[in-house]
Amino acid sequence: MNAIEETKRINDEYNFFNEICEVKPSGKGKLSGYYVSVKDCIVVKDVESRSGSAILSGYKPVFDATVVKMIKEEGGTIIGKTAQDEFGFGSFSVNVGKGMKIPLNPIDKERSCGGSSGGAAGFTKKAPFKHIAIAESTGGSIVCPASFCGVYGLCPTYGLVSRYGLMDYASSLDKIGVMAKRIDEIALGLSVIAGHDEKDATSATAKKEDYGLQLSKGVKGMKIGIIKESLGKGTDREISKKVMEKIKVLEEKGVTIKEVPLPLNAKYSLAAYYLIAMCEASTNLAKYCGMRYGKHAELKGGFDEYFSSVRSANFGDEVKRRIIMGTFARMTGFRDAYYIKALKARTMMIEEYRKAFMEFDALISPTMPVIAPKFSEIKKMSPLQNYMMDILGVGPNLAGMPHISCPAGEKEGMPIGIMVTGNQFEEGKIIRIAKALENGQ
Amino acid sequence: MGNEFTSDAVVGIECHVELNTNTKLFCSCPRKGTEEPNSRCCEICLGHPGSKPSVNKKAIEFALKLCLATNSKIAKELVFSRKSYFYPDLAKNFQITQYEMPLGSNGEIKLPGKAIKLKRIHLEEDPASMVHSGSYVLVDYNRSGNPLVEIVTEPVMESAQEARDFMKQLITVLEYLEIFDINNCVIKADVNVSVRESGYSRVEVKNITGFKEIERAVNYEVQRQKHEAKDGKKAMQETRGWDADKGMTFPMRQKESEEDYGYIIEPDLAVIDITDDFVGKIKLAMPEMADEKLRKFLDEHGIEETTANVIAKDRKLAKMYEEVIKEVDRELASKWIRRELPRVLNYQKKSLEESNIEPKHMISLLKLIQHGKITEKTGQQLINMLGEAPFDVDEHVKKEGLSAVSDSSQIEQFCKEAIKEAPKAVEEYKAGKEKALNFCVGIVMKKSKGKAKPETVMEMLKKLVD
Repeated sequence: MNAIEETKRINDEYNFFNEICEVKPSGKGKLSGYYVSVKDCIVVKDVESRSGSAILSGYKPVFDATVVKMIKEEGGTIIGKTAQDEFGFGSFSVNVGKGMKIPLNPIDKERSCGGSSGGAAGFTKKAPFKHIAIAESTGGSIVCPASFCGVYGLCPTYGLVSRYGLMDYASSLDKIGVMAKRIDEIALGLSVIAGHDEKDATSATAKKEDYGLQLSKGVKGMKIGIIKESLGKGTDREISKKVMEKIKVLEEKGVTIKEVPLPLNAKYSLAAYYLIAMCEASTNLAKYCGMRYGKHAELKGGFDEYFSSVRSANFGDEVKRRIIMGTFARMTGFRDAYYIKALKARTMMIEEYRKAFMEFDALISPTMPVIAPKFSEIKKMSPLQNYMMDILGVGPNLAGMPHISCPAGEKEGMPIGIMVTGNQFEEGKIIRIAKALENGQ
Repeated sequence: MGNEFTSDAVVGIECHVELNTNTKLFCSCPRKGTEEPNSRCCEICLGHPGSKPSVNKKAIEFALKLCLATNSKIAKELVFSRKSYFYPDLAKNFQITQYEMPLGSNGEIKLPGKAIKLKRIHLEEDPASMVHSGSYVLVDYNRSGNPLVEIVTEPVMESAQEARDFMKQLITVLEYLEIFDINNCVIKADVNVSVRESGYSRVEVKNITGFKEIERAVNYEVQRQKHEAKDGKKAMQETRGWDADKGMTFPMRQKESEEDYGYIIEPDLAVIDITDDFVGKIKLAMPEMADEKLRKFLDEHGIEETTANVIAKDRKLAKMYEEVIKEVDRELASKWIRRELPRVLNYQKKSLEESNIEPKHMISLLKLIQHGKITEKTGQQLINMLGEAPFDVDEHVKKEGLSAVSDSSQIEQFCKEAIKEAPKAVEEYKAGKEKALNFCVGIVMKKSKGKAKPETVMEMLKKLVD
């Protein structure tokens, strides 16, 4: 069976893909022989790209995202667009667009893959051939599903990887990253997609690096902080225990471990994150109105009635919720109290991280406070409980710090993840730590 | 605010000027070119998912030039914001503009005897254009993303005339900076107008295109408000539109005037530092502006005031003048560049560039006049011809034998003939009617095809008759 047929067979069982394709490489290089899945929100020329939303039904992009171009040039074959929460709005990949399927956890089909890059993580676990997933994170959408599916997931420093061609959720928070079964494949994937892009004004000018060189460097002499608030109330005890066991492995390898409190992040990161993300999202999603591309409807009434009818019919509930809340928070009279305040809080939280990195090489915490929940449990959760799931992953996302989730054992047969956060542009260090954790397994 | 005003009318202008860049503000599509609808656009100016803006450095430079020329305070950082509203001409359903921190603030445009204070100058993108076609509206994205500067004045103008003077002076400044071309850049304005009779209740008039329309709209609005007040109608703050065809303002829906744009910082664009170094470089390259030129023309060149004004206001005429006086007398040059050159261009309906008349043409022409080689009349005929299509003036004069006739035997011959042909005029002259001899001068001029100098002819005639 060839890779595409294999992918189709797996997809029939787990719904990891919104679209399966075979886009051949344009060159030979580091990824020759690799199949690469791309999250639906990253555009691939001529392949239906919907960001998990019905409003983009039938939309075939006219250009390749910069990362897609880089992958093709390095020899990777694009095999499809992975399932996600609509526009990335969720932590369980259950908020899929109208008419789309929910991806199922590769270990237990009753459970969620996590989100929003759920399809990417699930397929990474299952792929029976050389595979790397290109995923995306706004507030934890790479590490959460990586943790729930038992794979590696790295979200880089904001600006390290070009966002050109990423359908925006919240532009000041969105990052494209990688998922893989092994840490060396993470290093490989990141080496390909990182680098300056003049088409993305927020792209960093950092020099291109071969992260593979980090794998042999070891961790001896490093100083790592355990985020104090991450192991207490709200985090499953079994998960805390497993994470502590992993930390012991690092200590044995010559790492100094110390507890570090991040009180501002613990208290305000979730609120600041959701405010900024929703404000930006409500403007980013304004362009979807049935006029230039994607889903159209019969032209009736004035333009505002037409736009409303297309948006009402094709956006899911969570999308509508975030557009309404985001629009509210940036209106005159509320703007200063919500949007502007959240921006200020964000600056303070970045400062808190910076201070911590003056002392530590990296910070550690569990990735998620729980193992992958069952769909039946998710149904009972309120929107607020849903948002609370992001508590651990939101901090580094808000601050734009690179972070990686590594497999750290199991509970009830389900994977647990440990998250390593590094200072900006210190992907190398967190890859070294992840490598040390992998060896210790 | 209203109570601080004392003048008859109070006018403030918010105008949008298209910058004369090659490419659009956030992508590399051409700003001008083929008019085929939707042919000059890409994923960025069409707002396709995943596309992102990158700022055109030239547009920043142009806007900074305007800030410098108006003595505006320049922001340390260039920060863009998203202004959100749903409209079919907005590719993203938000416009990238500036909100909290405009690029320039507290500037001024100087008019004779008064400086018009500028609240702010900022950069923003133009939306697409909408074409109404029967029951449909068609959208053309060729314009989408073109660079605009928005210039907002304080409400300090006191009449339509002053608003017009301001706009004229603004255009002079823009043209001097070479950041705007009246032939291919659009200028639009919203104005706010209030009158004493209504207690200065502010009325905003939106969507006025073209600077002449601005004066018309202000004029109309001042009169309308005065009439309303006279009729005892209660003044209210409102937003009106301008109908150029009817020459009238009309009320707009409340909804359109009370929109809440929910501004956020544009997160797809990094904040750009406006360094002293960058501004310094632009400052060094700043041209001499109209005010400075006027001062020079008056004080140093000593040319007549109105002439100096007309030339200094028009960058291209000023440039022509400064080139021509390198070889030609200043007074003669200024006279011809103020009057004859614009007359010909106006007649030909051409701009100076379109006419291809260059300083070398004017220099040749004026030198011939200055040295008495041709008459002013021949000069006028020649400049008319230059207006159609330029040519080598010296060669033409030589070839066509247009040099002024100074051969006195030839003139004497013509005069003798004229005296014979017009005995009656000669009689009258002899009887004491001085002017009668002009008739004979006319005959001689005709015979010489205008090449004789009238003064010389008159002298000769008198000699012959007496």
